Amino acid sequence: MKARILAILSLLMICFGIRGEEARPLRPVLSAFTVEGGTAHVIETYLSPLRYSGQRFGVGYERMQAMKFDPSRWTMDLEVRLMCSHTLNPAHNATMWHGSVEGRWSMMRTWRRGPWRYYAGGNTDLDLGVMYNARNSNNPVAAKAAWTVGVTGAVAFNTKLRGVPVCLRYMAMLPLTGAFFSPAYGELYYEIYLGNRHGLCRAAWPGNYFRLDNLLSADLRFGGTVLRLGYRLDVRSSEASHIVTRTVTHTAVVGVASEWISLPAKRPLQETDRIINALY
Amino acid sequence: MKTQRLRYYILGVTFVLAALLSLPGCHKVENWDNDLYGNFDALWTILDEHYCFFEDKDVDWDAVRTHYRSQLKPGMDYNEFFDVCSAMLDELRDGHTNLISWFDVSYYRQWWTDYPQNFNLRIVQQYYLNFDYHSSGGMIWGKLPDCNVGYLYYSSFSSPVNSSFIDNMMLSLKDCDGLIIDVRDNGGGDIDNVRKLVGHFISERISGGYIRHKTGPGHSDFSEPYEFFIDTAEGHVRWLKYVVVLANRSTFSAANNFVSVMKPLPHVLVAGDTTGGGSGMPFSSELPCGWSVRFSACPVYDADMNLTEYGVEPSEGCKVDMDAQAALRGHDTIIDFAVLAITTAAEEHGRFVAPQSTGFEH
Repeated sequence: MKARILAILSLLMICFGIRGEEARPLRPVLSAFTVEGGTAHVIETYLSPLRYSGQRFGVGYERMQAMKFDPSRWTMDLEVRLMCSHTLNPAHNATMWHGSVEGRWSMMRTWRRGPWRYYAGGNTDLDLGVMYNARNSNNPVAAKAAWTVGVTGAVAFNTKLRGVPVCLRYMAMLPLTGAFFSPAYGELYYEIYLGNRHGLCRAAWPGNYFRLDNLLSADLRFGGTVLRLGYRLDVRSSEASHIVTRTVTHTAVVGVASEWISLPAKRPLQETDRIINALY
Repeated sequence: MKTQRLRYYILGVTFVLAALLSLPGCHKVENWDNDLYGNFDALWTILDEHYCFFEDKDVDWDAVRTHYRSQLKPGMDYNEFFDVCSAMLDELRDGHTNLISWFDVSYYRQWWTDYPQNFNLRIVQQYYLNFDYHSSGGMIWGKLPDCNVGYLYYSSFSSPVNSSFIDNMMLSLKDCDGLIIDVRDNGGGDIDNVRKLVGHFISERISGGYIRHKTGPGHSDFSEPYEFFIDTAEGHVRWLKYVVVLANRSTFSAANNFVSVMKPLPHVLVAGDTTGGGSGMPFSSELPCGWSVRFSACPVYDADMNLTEYGVEPSEGCKVDMDAQAALRGHDTIIDFAVLAITTAAEEHGRFVAPQSTGFEH
């Protein structure tokens, strides 16, 4: 009888996570605030058949953290960006603005091999924006909206540069499917306003909605503060109803990042705790 | 064995990546050189792929290209080049089609130049309103002398419809037998203002007509017509007494649409001349040299699916021109006709039809 009670108690302790001195995984959050600036090349044939070129700038926030259910093997990455492009036509007498806000959440299987980290997984991305060409009469605007599901891959290498810990990372995102908004070839937004909303939502696949978002970054860790320097190449090309939208942007990325962790007051940091960083 | 598997793996990944990266290349965008021929071809192609009335107007656009491209000569200056391009666009016989450069704007005018003007605002202001009228934006209104008829002139649908202004006018004229809405020389503007204004003259939701758009670059690639509706101006004053809409050949675009929507209403007559048309809602594009081009892209039809690109005729028996001799004596015979129509209908309490006389004794 006594042995049976002990067995039940042991089982309950396992179920409720009472494991005595067992290592507790702690998952610091890596938060990064960045600014981006660079060049943009835009073709939006609904507004103009010509290629516009100019500047691109924006701000971004990234949050990376090992995932709760299996922290040593899975990592999540949340990225929010607010971007704006100001471009001119080849004759430099017309302006096109492109503003967008984007949120992306990735969940990646993580492999840790010494200083190397490898990530591969999926993402879901919501991208909303608008292009505006002031010289046009009834077609001055092209609205952009896309929700996609795709793959994310990354590789990171932790090293030291003159004694400063550095994390070099290359990260790429490629949408595979989803849905995006597009009017028909010659459809006015006024007709949509009048109520004709037929066929505005298009199924996306890489053949009609291609995007490859590449980020190459170096995180230089000065104590608790991280300086992030990077380069982003974002290539997009979509076609729906013979309307082609193509944007290629090259931006330099500068930002600050930090890792933080919140611990319950009842159970502060202990020697046995195991810290699982998302990136470093 | 392991090395061979790795090779296959790398080869496979490379192939998939190469295939994915080549996909955007499928999204073709035409490129033109920024020279005479490049700009000409860009203009021709933009129209070829987007203009909406090739078939309705029976325009052989390929033949037009051959004809005008042969007129290009190396070394011709931009004025000469502009003239060749303008002449090519004139082949479309479309008042909505313009080539816009930094020194000139091409404009097809024959939709109104071949017809009498039939309007003189000064005569209206001086002899009918005695310079005593109310105005807001592009509208003026007043009560006509020696009759029980109100008068509203709307010069441009680019001016927003001020419903409070309309309400005040209708309340002030509530004892009148009818209202004249004059849209002569109204060259159009924002078509949404048509819906706002019409909403003051209907008691229930009506069809505003149909709209189509191009679904591809082919000359006959069009969507199914989409019927749109006009709602009553809820919360505002509505005028359901007699209305005569006055039009001339310079009643164009959104004003043309206004006439086509008002004409079928039972308490409305359209008097004057056939409108100028312009039922294609315009799109804009541009050439490598920086010139822009505007053209009809989405045809709009009336509630009976008639294309109004060539204009809307007056109601039966209401075709009236301004008498030039009478105008010299301060008479607008089209307004006189409208006054007579309203007065006669009010006296007879009958169906609103054209009066037997023209309203002006010579």
